[in-house]
Amino acid sequence: MTNLKYDEREEVKKLLVLATLAGRLMLKSGAETYRVEDTVIRICQSRKDIQHVDAFVIPTGIFISLEFKGELISYIKRVKTISIDLNKISLVNEFSRTFVSTHMSIEDGIKEIKRINKISIYSNIIKSLFGAIASGFFCLLFQGTILDFLGAFIVSFIVSFLLNSISKLKLTFFLDKFIGSVFISILSYFLIKLGLGDSLDKVIIGSIMPLVPGVAITNAIRDTMSGDFLSGLSRGMEAIFSALAIAFGVGIVLFFS
Amino acid sequence: MEIFKQFIFSFMSTIGFAVLFNSPKNSVIYAGLVGAIGWMLYYITFMATNNYVAATFLGALTVGLLGEALARKNKKPATLYITAGIIPLVPGAGAYYTMLHLIENDFSSAAAKGVETLFIAAAISTGIIISSIFSKSIKRVRQKD
Repeated sequence: MTNLKYDEREEVKKLLVLATLAGRLMLKSGAETYRVEDTVIRICQSRKDIQHVDAFVIPTGIFISLEFKGELISYIKRVKTISIDLNKISLVNEFSRTFVSTHMSIEDGIKEIKRINKISIYSNIIKSLFGAIASGFFCLLFQGTILDFLGAFIVSFIVSFLLNSISKLKLTFFLDKFIGSVFISILSYFLIKLGLGDSLDKVIIGSIMPLVPGVAITNAIRDTMSGDFLSGLSRGMEAIFSALAIAFGVGIVLFFS
Repeated sequence: MEIFKQFIFSFMSTIGFAVLFNSPKNSVIYAGLVGAIGWMLYYITFMATNNYVAATFLGALTVGLLGEALARKNKKPATLYITAGIIPLVPGAGAYYTMLHLIENDFSSAAAKGVETLFIAAAISTGIIISSIFSKSIKRVRQKD
């Protein structure tokens, strides 16, 4: 079985781990399916003697196999949570280009991927603030008044901050969105009572915008249209159930109010 | 005046989403501009034709083309600009209303809203796919020369 040198095999295995880690990081950050497949295949093919690389990527996992001197090696990695992080997608993209075109060692590559994984450019407060800005201006975009703007801004700031803290508990996306929308509707209801905001509908719609699965819906259809049916289906389910969680949350509060 | 207001509002909300999506600092403003220009096209087309799907399609196509152009210029992936840029067009409120109608047992409104949401999402995806195919073929023609 082993006419291969031990070192060589270990080296190829490490390359495979590096490719999977890079792919998983991209997938976790919400990259498109084809981009992840491209990156993984490109990283694997960059070293010599490797043949028949293929990758199968869906939003919940990565499967790679390759042939090295007549031996098949494969690797599987599950991906659980997806939260959009464009900075990481861009960094991994750049990394894969430099890795393929230079003679960077595989250990350095793995270290680099781990470093990228830890980067977060905005603090919790800044993100909540911009989430609030997004919600407030969305409210205005849908013909809200200046009071609606203020209401959505306050509600969204508080709830974004709360959700960022909750996300450390690693509940499922369904519970996260449900809790978020319950808090949004309760806060909006009281703010309207206090006179901050004219129409409850507009304040709620503005504030739930950061929770709404807009990107998931569009990506689902985009994947399906480009032939990645399984990815499309998986993202579509995420979108439908996110919308359901939000509607449940708002619906329950509005029912009791 | 209304158009100017719409421009500012969409610009600000796209910037908000760009930060929520962790865009790198130097691409936040670009993403905002892409989103605002895309929304402008949507708004003008919608005012002229009163057709959601056509307006969304044109808006998304603009966002896609601008995103690809910026990606070429700054040597970054186009998603950086497109993901946040399409947010004002995305039928988030539509998805929410669909589910709300379902919960309220109002099935015909839910079906109407749901189909509208699906068509708008399809229009966005088509716009972006067309723009990316377009930019790929330009690249291919240039490489041949």
